[in-house]
Amino acid sequence: MLKHDGFDVVLANNGLEALDVYKKEKPDLVLLDVVMPYLDGYETAPLLKELAGEVYLPVIFITALEDQDSLTRCLDVGGDDFLSKPFERVILHAKIKAHARIRDLSQKAFEQKKQLDFYRLKTEREHEIVEHIFQRAFEGNYKAPHLLDFHLSPASMFNGDIMLVELGPTGNLYIMMGDFTGHGLAAAVGTLPVSSSFYSMVQKGLSVGDIAIQINDILLKLLPDDMFCAASIIELNNMGKSLSVWTGGTPDMYLIDNQNDQFTTIESQHMALGILEQDEFDAASMNYSVAKQEQLIVFTDGLVEIMDENGEMFGYERLTELLKQPHYQEIPNIIDELNYFSGGVEQDDDISILSLRCDEVNSNLDQNQYSYSKLPHSFSLTVDAEAIRTSDPVLEVIDMVTLMKGAEEHRSTLYLLLSEAYNNALEHGLLELSSSIKDSDDGFIDYYAQRDDLLNKLTSGHITIEVNYVPEQTSLYFTVTDSGAGFNVDAKKSELDNEDAHGRGFILLQEIASSVEYNAIGNQVKVGYQLNVS
Amino acid sequence: MSLKTSTSADGQTVTIEVKGKFDFNFVQDFRSAYSAIEGSIDTIIVDLRETEYMDSSALGMLLNMQKTLSGRVNNIKISNCKPQIKKILQISRFDKKFDID
Repeated sequence: MLKHDGFDVVLANNGLEALDVYKKEKPDLVLLDVVMPYLDGYETAPLLKELAGEVYLPVIFITALEDQDSLTRCLDVGGDDFLSKPFERVILHAKIKAHARIRDLSQKAFEQKKQLDFYRLKTEREHEIVEHIFQRAFEGNYKAPHLLDFHLSPASMFNGDIMLVELGPTGNLYIMMGDFTGHGLAAAVGTLPVSSSFYSMVQKGLSVGDIAIQINDILLKLLPDDMFCAASIIELNNMGKSLSVWTGGTPDMYLIDNQNDQFTTIESQHMALGILEQDEFDAASMNYSVAKQEQLIVFTDGLVEIMDENGEMFGYERLTELLKQPHYQEIPNIIDELNYFSGGVEQDDDISILSLRCDEVNSNLDQNQYSYSKLPHSFSLTVDAEAIRTSDPVLEVIDMVTLMKGAEEHRSTLYLLLSEAYNNALEHGLLELSSSIKDSDDGFIDYYAQRDDLLNKLTSGHITIEVNYVPEQTSLYFTVTDSGAGFNVDAKKSELDNEDAHGRGFILLQEIASSVEYNAIGNQVKVGYQLNVS
Repeated sequence: MSLKTSTSADGQTVTIEVKGKFDFNFVQDFRSAYSAIEGSIDTIIVDLRETEYMDSSALGMLLNMQKTLSGRVNNIKISNCKPQIKKILQISRFDKKFDID
């Protein structure tokens, strides 16, 4: 009958067969009898449903049973409908059509769910990757726990606020707190290039103004016109005695001195980063002399714009009132107070606040155990008059020497030693300049003017630089020999005892080098320096 | 290698930054950086944050500056020295004549 009506029909003679057939054919609808051999309809229905999984498989019982209990049981075991024999063809049709429609819907829903799951997983994975990158990007090497306390609270998974902390080469502490327009991922993308360039500039020890110039430049190139970054860049010198601050587009900062009952408001000086062109940009910073008991509070506008349930903002006034009480100068206590104020109203901007105690940075840049080369090195070079006139052999030799393991840390000092030895050889040995020229009023300038003059006229003579490294002593030796006439070493030494101004180089050599030896005629000096004592 | 001079808004602080190698090549530049100062001012900061190398000629230049400006400036600061540069200044007893931070 159904075949006639255009349905594809497969038959099974009992419940077990029905399960097999279902697996093979995957029909869209099952008509089931209750009374069957091996596995009856009541037992077959739940098994079929299980096989069908998440998509709706209509199971319609067709039965001669008419009693209430049997029919109820049909539904209890998972049947979706029933039809008592004998039945009208129209009714069967109607039921099949109705259930087919439901199956259709279920199928569509199932497909959509599969797709959604796919996208959800994909997005989650992408977020994980981005989160990972972000975490890495903001990890500086230095945390300064004894000076710095902070609270960062993004409004969503990604933070459009940024806080970076790093130590400069002289042990100065640099901090940047920034707030990108908006929040969430769109705001957070800007933080990536900012953090990497911040770290590299701090490692070079640039001033806060120069750092601001660089970051402004990067953001100007990268960000769309309506996006920018309000930021404060702060440098605390390693003694904790001076603060240098560049601020653009940020809320006020507070410098608090409880001991002297002073509360200084530092207003933002410039426009935010990423707006002004290079030639309009102002890198001027503000400098403050600070003392131990002082504390700097820096925050982003999310903090003062947090609202209570009536839509009233927390505001600057409440904040400054709080900060004038020592109890509320502790970050956790401020945050408690903020949470109490907002009464659990969801924040809609990122909130960041930090407090910096102005004290010695004490960088713990420990004298790590450097390892030193175990190989003996030696090389020498001789520069003639022309090379002397046209090049600076000192820096080139030092560049070579510092390639040696363990020598880089001593670069400036090694430069000084070789520079003193070389310039002595050149100025006194070859050019025969007298240091006493420096004694007169403008002597210093005269001396170097004469040096320049004589150097330009130099046509003969040479200087040999010999470098030896003795691994057993972890010591470097520079031997500098000039072709000049030499000098009376003993006379020079006694002359220096009355500490006149021009013997400075000589004294420096004696103090920094581990040994200084002259040959008898005074045209050769051998300067030793031990790498593993600082 | 370069030398940069800037003056604070109130005209009381002059900052001289020396980049790279601080040696006799700067004799003229360094002198003109401070000899342009007229009258008396509060502070001169010699910022050595980007100074990699110095030798005794730099020390001489600093002393010359101090001599020239004596009585006209309250305080000459040498700032942001890298550790090895600071050591050179200390060995030369410059901490007695300059404010080194």
